[in-house]
Amino acid sequence: MSLLAEFSEQLINGVTLGMVYVLLAAGLSIIFGVMDVINFSHGELFALGAYFALSITGVLGSGLGFWAALVVAPLLVGFVGIAIERFTIRPLYGRNPLYHILLTFGLVLIINDLIKLVWGTQQQNLAVPKFLAQPIGAAGVQTSLYNVFMIVFAGGLALGVWLFLNRTKYGMIVRAGSQDRQMVRNVGIGIDKYYTLVFGLGAGLAAIGGIVLGGYQSVSTGMGNSVIIPAFIIVVLGGLGSFRGAVYGGLLVGIIRTMTRTYLPVFEGLTIFLLMIAVLLIRPQGLFGESDHSDGGEEGDLLTGAGGGVLTDAMRTKLGAAFVGLLALAPFGILVSGNEFYVILLNRMLIFAIFALSLDIVMGYTGLVPLGHTMFYGVGAYVAALVMIHVTSSFIIAIVGAIVICALIAWIVGSLSIRVSGVYFAMITLAFAELFYNAVFKFSFTGGSDGLLGWDTFFGIAGVGAELGEIEFMLAGFEITPNIVFYYTALALAVLSFLFARRFMNAPFGSVLQSISEAEERAEFLGYNVTTYKRRAFVMSGGMAGMAGGLLAVKPSTFIISPDQTLAWVHSGEVIVMTLLGGMGTLFGPMIGAGVFIGAEDVLSSYTEQWRMVIGTIFVLFVLFVPRGLVSVPSLIAQRRQTDQEGDPPVGFDDSEVSSND
Amino acid sequence: MRETSNGSGESITSKTSRRRFLTSAGAAGAVALAGCSDNTSNGSNTVTVASLNPMSGAYSSLGPAQRAGVELAVKQINESDEYDYEINPVYDDTETESGAAQQAAQKVVQEEQADFVFGAISSSVALGINEFAKQSEFVYFPGGAAVPITGSKCNQWVFRFETNTAQIAEAISAYTVNEIGSNVWFHIADYAYGDSVYARTKERMQAANSGFTEVGKTESSLGSSNFGSYISQISNSDADAVILGMTGGDLVNFVNQAADRGLTDDTALVGPTMGFKAVRKGTGASSVGTYGGIRYDPSVDLGDNQQFVEAFKEENDGVPGNFERVGYESIRLMVRGMEKAGSTDPADVRDALEGGTFTTVLGDITLRESDHQATNPTWMAELTQGDGNMADVNLLNKVDGADTLPPASDLGCNMN
Repeated sequence: MSLLAEFSEQLINGVTLGMVYVLLAAGLSIIFGVMDVINFSHGELFALGAYFALSITGVLGSGLGFWAALVVAPLLVGFVGIAIERFTIRPLYGRNPLYHILLTFGLVLIINDLIKLVWGTQQQNLAVPKFLAQPIGAAGVQTSLYNVFMIVFAGGLALGVWLFLNRTKYGMIVRAGSQDRQMVRNVGIGIDKYYTLVFGLGAGLAAIGGIVLGGYQSVSTGMGNSVIIPAFIIVVLGGLGSFRGAVYGGLLVGIIRTMTRTYLPVFEGLTIFLLMIAVLLIRPQGLFGESDHSDGGEEGDLLTGAGGGVLTDAMRTKLGAAFVGLLALAPFGILVSGNEFYVILLNRMLIFAIFALSLDIVMGYTGLVPLGHTMFYGVGAYVAALVMIHVTSSFIIAIVGAIVICALIAWIVGSLSIRVSGVYFAMITLAFAELFYNAVFKFSFTGGSDGLLGWDTFFGIAGVGAELGEIEFMLAGFEITPNIVFYYTALALAVLSFLFARRFMNAPFGSVLQSISEAEERAEFLGYNVTTYKRRAFVMSGGMAGMAGGLLAVKPSTFIISPDQTLAWVHSGEVIVMTLLGGMGTLFGPMIGAGVFIGAEDVLSSYTEQWRMVIGTIFVLFVLFVPRGLVSVPSLIAQRRQTDQEGDPPVGFDDSEVSSND
Repeated sequence: MRETSNGSGESITSKTSRRRFLTSAGAAGAVALAGCSDNTSNGSNTVTVASLNPMSGAYSSLGPAQRAGVELAVKQINESDEYDYEINPVYDDTETESGAAQQAAQKVVQEEQADFVFGAISSSVALGINEFAKQSEFVYFPGGAAVPITGSKCNQWVFRFETNTAQIAEAISAYTVNEIGSNVWFHIADYAYGDSVYARTKERMQAANSGFTEVGKTESSLGSSNFGSYISQISNSDADAVILGMTGGDLVNFVNQAADRGLTDDTALVGPTMGFKAVRKGTGASSVGTYGGIRYDPSVDLGDNQQFVEAFKEENDGVPGNFERVGYESIRLMVRGMEKAGSTDPADVRDALEGGTFTTVLGDITLRESDHQATNPTWMAELTQGDGNMADVNLLNKVDGADTLPPASDLGCNMN
């Protein structure tokens, strides 16, 4: 078997995969380019196309059914896309892209659960016409006719879309809108109507990709999740908004992924992220993007929960102290009911509260939206576990180790990431997080896919203290277990973190961060070194998130630290949701949001198997109607009541959470 | 999570009503029996048993099958007079992920007070629950197949009725290398199960045939969906057979793509889990002509399997497969342990189960004293053309339970 023939086969494999990516990325890129919307639910629309095709071929058979599905399913998914745009995305135009990310993240949960509900969780075979599923070969190169079909069909479709964009009036308007939306409006064209069309078109393309790939592999509920990250990478590589970029980017990624798998297997899973980081640092607008997209397309403010509360500062402090007091007494109340489970749940809430607090420092105050913050949480957990396994069981050393290592990593990652902003900052942090996620599978000292297990936690240091797992004593008639000891430790650390963060945010440091968030150029003109401030905020945030991760490892009810539990990208999304849910920019808002999120998850999962769909719906509603988070609800109610009474909304919010007389 | 499910795994009502019924039935029964002499020290004969199954995540297509088996066992046990004990079942979702599984385990053990836990299919998830069982001292029957679960990570609270990788390796290794061909390629998914398959089958093949040659070995990351490059490498080699160390979605995708490329015509694909219903459903006609290690088949006439198959057909659509039998029999073994011990105290049940021989749907098996692994028989099978869209399983060769396992210390377990 000649080397050239083998290489050619691998190339065909790469191009096949690449073509599927092209279909997926093309839609995503156009949607972003024209509408500035980052559509996380694109993967689920992809899956939806495959599932509709499954139903159609189930009725019509594999011959006629497949071709019918290729026409009908994309139309159906296109309608779904149009409905999504009309009812959920349209209200969000003009807002910061973060809200699109969150909204579409919620949509992912909803669509995914709906798919499971309607079609079941079983993996299914999408029957393709018999004549396509056979091998063909030439000159010693073997492949499947279906591969050839995929390449030809996707290529033809890409050509069709290109013709539409470049040779028709509608396409020209779409391209113009992608370059300068305001100008198109000024010229008198109602570009908003075209948004709906563009979103529907993108959704339809994704659906076709799903059908084509579904026939190549299988149709399963996880197929959307497995393609969305590569799709984003391609869009960034090729250039947000550039169709040509999506085509070349898709082919490039498909080929690179296939080739590294064969010839450089040790790099598998890492190369595309390294590539994305390199492109973002060297040429952020991508290979084919417009250079005026290089600033990340920042538009719209991040709506913080700070400012305009109904409570005065003094009242808020008293309320906070009362709340902490309540938390301090909670375990005893739980013990009375005889069930320790809720202490364990509270422990989880405290850990995520610290994690969300760390995110608020960069997101709520500095205005940076990282999509990869779970890397600090995960690395913190791993470091703490490794310290306890290999170095010393003392939990203090473990947590300090976690903080130090994470702060160091935050310094490196932060320095590189803050060179870009907006969407690109989000993507580059995502790439770093995915690097860590894929890397831990490869090393045996991190336990590979199993993760780390079997360590003991020593509650103390240098021999002074006791084994956490063995602590059990009676206090005033209550049995104090390890979980309760941990609870008070975590509660103390959470309160300390909050006070620490508040101290910093109330100091000039915090004011500078806020000014950077509001008007970065102006802060620079005032003489502040914006890069240094951003980096410092990132390091502080990373260290705190690392502490949260370390606490996870130390927790007595944790027996295993595994990659999916700590480093999967979905956790970055979850912590952003918690922060937004609570109300960012307030420090305590995200902590409340974390508690509510985890509590809701626990309660909902007892009542329905589709709890993810319920949570997704709640996010979507929050993003649309309560974007400032839970902490803003009292003022929203007050505002509503005032409007009802006076008919006149208050002029503006000029109180600030960050007060100078602290 | 409080949830009762019918056979299709849909939650309907909260089970407080069922629990209340059982409690009142138990109370009424206790009152009625007060006249008879009765000196069970533990008092109640209703025991809470938890089933943690992957209802979402990577193995979500297999979880419902496991749960269906458990539900049938619970129904049979509660309705029969044969057993002194009644089961109060509690269900939760492992989400095929260790962290979520731990939370679910915490919930059922702490909140529902379950002392007996069954579940997990992913070996990584099972290992986490192993540790928890050891710490909290409850009886755990895992559904994962990797050797370390009763091997290097064995502990006295864990008993396994699922057939492990070593046992399957016994069925497929010798047959492949002797009857199919001695040039073998290994392709595994990069995780505990894949490594386990590679290690065991290679060792057994070397022992069975001196002509065995490892032609090549490739690894893909768990959850991969594109195997084109590996398939090309394999078809360009002179391998007679390929051992596939992966399961679920990975296996389905691989087989589909291999069939498209004609690999299945030239080379024998041997998968330790090829015969699974879920895999056959996902591969359709692509898996005809491949070979699989079989842990369970409804046609098998051992022990009381036929009554299980009939009962299952009455309650559900179709015949039971491997995961159903693991769920079904694990629960039955727990209860048999309670019967033997005369108590529902987990430590007593553990002692009763250890080294015990029981009649199951796979015939008489022993939960070995050395590692608590059930001495299950295994089969090698070829997949042949079926009448529907799924391939049929044609059993070729059986390895008896006594011959499938090496000594526990060989597998890394030294607890007894």
